[in-house]
Formats: sequence, structure tokens, C-alpha cells
Amino acid sequence: MNTTLHELESKRLIWKARQTSEPYNACMKGFEELDENLNGGLPEQGVIDIHSPLGIGELRLILPYLRERLYSQSLNNPDDKQTQRHSLVFIAPPMRVNSEMLAEFKLVLSKVLVIHPSSSQEALWAAEQCLKSGCCKAVLLWHKQLEIHQVKRLQLAAQKGDAINILFRQTQESELSLPVSLSLSLSPHEQGLKVEITKQKGHWPKPAFSVNMSKHWPELTVKQRPNNVLPFPVARVS
Amino acid sequence: MEQLWLYLYFPQLQLDTLFTASKDNCDEYAVIIVDPSNHNICQVNEVATTSGIQKGMSLGAATLLSHQLQVLPYQSETEVNKLYEIADLLYLVTSDIAIDKPNGLFLRIHNMLNLYDNLEAYWQSIKNQLSPLALSYSYATGHSPLAARLLAKRGVNNILSEHHVLKNAVANSPLTCLEFDDKTQQKLTRVGIKTARDLMQIPLQDLAKRFDIILVNYLGRLTGEFKHPMTFYHPPESFDRYLELLYDIEDTQRITAPIKHLLKKLETFLKVRDRLTQQLDMTFYQRDIDIPIKFTVGSEQGEYLTDYWLELTALKLENIQLEAAVFAIQLTVHQTFVRSPEKNDLFEGKKGATSLLQLVSRLQAKLGEEAIRTPVMKDDFRPEIIASYDSPLASEQTLESNIQPYAIRPSFLLEAPQPLLEKVSLILGPERVDSGWWENQSLTRDYFVARTSKGQWYWVFRTPESQWYLHGVFS
Repeated sequence: MNTTLHELESKRLIWKARQTSEPYNACMKGFEELDENLNGGLPEQGVIDIHSPLGIGELRLILPYLRERLYSQSLNNPDDKQTQRHSLVFIAPPMRVNSEMLAEFKLVLSKVLVIHPSSSQEALWAAEQCLKSGCCKAVLLWHKQLEIHQVKRLQLAAQKGDAINILFRQTQESELSLPVSLSLSLSPHEQGLKVEITKQKGHWPKPAFSVNMSKHWPELTVKQRPNNVLPFPVARVS
Repeated sequence: MEQLWLYLYFPQLQLDTLFTASKDNCDEYAVIIVDPSNHNICQVNEVATTSGIQKGMSLGAATLLSHQLQVLPYQSETEVNKLYEIADLLYLVTSDIAIDKPNGLFLRIHNMLNLYDNLEAYWQSIKNQLSPLALSYSYATGHSPLAARLLAKRGVNNILSEHHVLKNAVANSPLTCLEFDDKTQQKLTRVGIKTARDLMQIPLQDLAKRFDIILVNYLGRLTGEFKHPMTFYHPPESFDRYLELLYDIEDTQRITAPIKHLLKKLETFLKVRDRLTQQLDMTFYQRDIDIPIKFTVGSEQGEYLTDYWLELTALKLENIQLEAAVFAIQLTVHQTFVRSPEKNDLFEGKKGATSLLQLVSRLQAKLGEEAIRTPVMKDDFRPEIIASYDSPLASEQTLESNIQPYAIRPSFLLEAPQPLLEKVSLILGPERVDSGWWENQSLTRDYFVARTSKGQWYWVFRTPESQWYLHGVFS
């Protein structure tokens, strides 16, 4: 065997086509466009990295999915879909989390924790603890810069606790590829959001697509002009 | 039923109580305990004994014999505390215990023998209870409490129930073993009394003529003719332990070892009662600083396990700065409650090992209690008041009636509304909120959903003065 080749391989510098990582278990209860383009839906566990400006609907994109995860049924009582069994954690949210919105969306407020850490180290520590505890199915973390080893720790913690960690970041600049399960880049769209999949574990890249939110939130979409309205003709003088 | 008593005598209780991180460490130094009233040595450890130091020596003589000597003043308080601890442990196997301050315990045996078939089995269970404490002690049974004490202090170490043997053993005791003051002893020797037997042969009436009432009382109690009054021990409801460290500790890392020692005791305390606690009060006494460091460690779920509490305490210690060396630690637990098993899904198994309550406790220990909040909904119409935070898992009250299904509410609110500086287009509204006129916080606002040119969704409002404010963001 070629020693140089072997050495390179042992250093994990060579990528082989059969090394593709396993696709994750997908949860199919989000938006139709999203589920379709993500080959099934958002992952059930791991880290999702979302790049988005604040206030364009980034949280609304994952809310149906979160509700599905938090209300996930127990095996011995499959009919019990009425009680929320798991907790949701917000870590370092940019503003105060509005309890009215959570209640409107039928999330049990007493099962929601909001953590205000005093440093980014504490934020990551809290995220790790929540993820691996097994009682929080979803941890939403607002964080600026993350390093590869930090994401790896979060990923492992999420696997241990069968939880999902969603990172929200406003920075748009390109950086090192992080070992996340899924990375999305969001931009505003009149009917909802434009989604670009930057990275998806076990799948090939796809073109950007838009998610229509008018079914869930008709109030938060720009009304489309009816098709039969024509622009008023302007007389041209030649 | 014939009376039978057991006396446990701990001759070097203070020395045994001193905490040492490891046994080897303790064996390196010669440690002696000196009575501050007359500067005579009253307790000696093994190393000191090998260098020739004996009980009753003066401090000066001891320092000549060994140059590496640790001298500690005798404190009966420490011994009594330890005595209560031992009584607490023995209470699990025997019912009637009386504390004989500062270093002895009376156990009433005769009523316990119904439970433990014979004396041997009873003594075995007492011994098992004492063995983990690693104390040195001597013991003896007696037909009266004072007879047991007399024999135990002589170091007889006998467990017998035959009264004639016991009486004989007492009678054979030399006069010096009887608890008389020097003057009485001199008087007795002068009239030719050398052992207890000589004294007992004289009728009490005759003794009462020549000697004082103290001697007569003592003798009556020794023979069992008089009753020796005593109050029996009842275990306390709360846990309170004080641990003096042999060495001053300045590092928060190293302090976990003695804390673990205390927590282990707490674990046994709670386990035998099948109880849990939610809060520990820890006090560090610092050298040269009068104000001790006090802090509490909390667990929402309630725990008794050492490892769990140690983890929480370690997290708490990360935020604590020691200003001076710590010489003693106190652990207090005031409230305990009966343990009720947690219900878990049998088929799903446990993926993570912690429950939500445990998680909250852990987060609170590290980040501070104020950092963990849970959103709550208040019964009001003013957006600032409806959406507020409370301490986590405080109460489960979701006001279903208060949820307005037609309203659309932002996911994030600003702490206080800010003047709107951007150009926005109004998409939905107005929704008038006019409330609070009854408590001087009156507000009249027209809320709109607005969209900026960058595609962000804002929750804005207009005041009656036509001023525009940004209040929330629809994320």
C-alpha cells in the first residue's frame, strides 16, 4: 500500500465518496416547502445553524416543527397528544420572550425556560447542560461566534439527550464550515421566507426556495395583488 | 425484668473527630490535646505515644519529647457534638440512649433484648453501627448505669448479663476508680477502705452518719438501690453538623473533600428517614475574619445523594472567593420532606439522566438564581404586564381565557418601547389598547403590524399624540 496515501487517509485529509454521513431522522411536520426541499424535514436531533436577520420570521419557520417535537407522543400512550411533555429553552434571546405569543401557539409556559447568561462561555455551558439533560427537546441559542469544537460538544450533547439545538446568528459573513446537521440562510420574502440550504448532512446542495407562511400567519404576509388587476395604461405620445 | 445497662466510653473523642483528608496524613504528625485549665495532656495520638508522650504529662515535658508536635486545646463542645452524632447513629438499632457529657453514652439494654434474642446479637449490631466511625472506645455492661460507667472507664470491655458477676466486678474496683473527689478519697483510705467492696459492706445508714450525702447517693446509684435520673435522647428533625478542619484550606478546589465528608453524613441522615431536602445552608468559618461566608445550595427536585449535592456545591463554589483560610465548615438542613418516587416512562427509558427540576437546580447553582426565568402570562391588557417573567417552574397557571385567539402578538418584546426611527409600511391594524386608568399607569395605544423595507416585521404603536414607537418584533 502506498504509505503517503495511507498517511493522508489516516489524517482524514482524503474524502471518499462512500464516506457520506448517514442522513438524519427527519421530523415531517413543518412547512410543506421546507419538508420537501430538506428531503423529509428538519432533523430530530443535532444542531441546526440558522443565519438570519432579526425579525423576518426565523422563529416562525421552526415553530410548527418545535411544537411537534415538544408534543411528541410517548410509546405507552400514543393517543396522548394533548400534553406537552418536553421543555423548550431560550438562551440569551435578543429581547424579552413574549409569553402571549407562546401561549397563542399552545406551548405550555411552565415548560419554557429563559436563560440570561452573563458570558458566552456560560451560554454554551447552559446549552450543553440543557441538551444532554434529556428533558429539554429543543434549545434555542442566540450566539455570535462559534468554534468547531464548541459545535461538536453541542452536537454530542444533543445526541445524548435526543434534543435539537437551534443556533440563531445574524452574521452573514462566510466562515469555516461548522459540523452542524443542517445550516440554513434566511432572507425576507413577501409571502414568508426565502431559504437557502447552506449545508445538509448526507445530501447534495439544492437551489434556494421560498416558504409560504400565509397559511399559518396570513397577517404577516404582504397581500398579493389579484391577477386580474392590470396596471393603469399610460398614454404615450410618440 | 433485671436491669442491664451498657456504657460506651470514648476516651479520645476530640482527637478522633478531627477531620483528616487521608489516614496516612494524620499519622505523620504527633497530635496532642491539652486541657487549657491545667496544661496537662488529655488526648494523645499514636505517633505521639510512640515518641513517649503520655496522658497526664505537662505540655512542657511533651515538647521536649517530640519537636514536631501539634497542640490543640481541649474543647468539650466538639466532643458533645460528636456524641450526639454517635447517638444519632445508634438510635437506628437501639431505643434508649442517654448522653453522658462530654464523652460517654448510656444505653438501656434490658428492654432491647426482646428484639435481639440475646446479648451477643445486640452487641454485634451496636458494634457494626460504630465501626465506620473509626473511633476508639471502651465499653462495659452493668446492673446499674453507674456500674456500667465505672467498668467501662476501667476498660473492662465486657458484655455480660449475669448480675452476680457484674456486682463482683464492681466490688473489686479500687477506690480510685470510684468518682469521689480527693478529699473524700483521703478520708476513706484513712479509715482503711481500699476497694468498692469495703465500702459496700458498710450499711448505707452508717455511711450517711460519717460521710456526706454525695457519697451515699453515688453508692446507692452504683449498687442500683437508688435510681439514676437521666433523659433519653431523641433524634432531631433537622440536620446540623459542624466540622473543624485539621488544616486551614485556602483553595476552593480542596475544600470539596471535607464537604463531601459532610454530605455523606447528610446522605445517611436523609436515607434512614427516607427523606429529601431542597436546600443546604453552608457556612465557611474563616481565620481572622469575623463574618463567615454563608451560602445556600438549592435543588428544586429534592435530593439526598452525596454526588448530586457535591456537584451542585462545586458549581456554587466556582463563584465564591475565599478571603482567608477556612478552618471550619458547617452544614445545616432545616427542611426535609418525604420522598415520593418520580414517574417515568418504562418503555422509553431514560435518555438523559436528569429531570427538569434537577436541570433547573444545576443551572441556578452555576448561573445564579436570577439568570433562569420562565415566561408567565398575567391577567391584564397592557402588553408590558401580560408578558412577564417569573422564577422557574413557580406555578402552573396558564390563563386559557386570557389568550386572545384573534390577536397577533410578536415573539419578542423590547424591555421598553423605543421611538420608531425607520420607515415602515403598516400591514395590519389598528388594535386599540386603552387600559390601566385605575392605577395611574394609563395608556392609550393603537397597535399596528408593520414591515420595514428590509423585510422585518415590527409591532409598532401610535400614541394619541401621534408619536410612533416600536414595541416588538415578529421573529
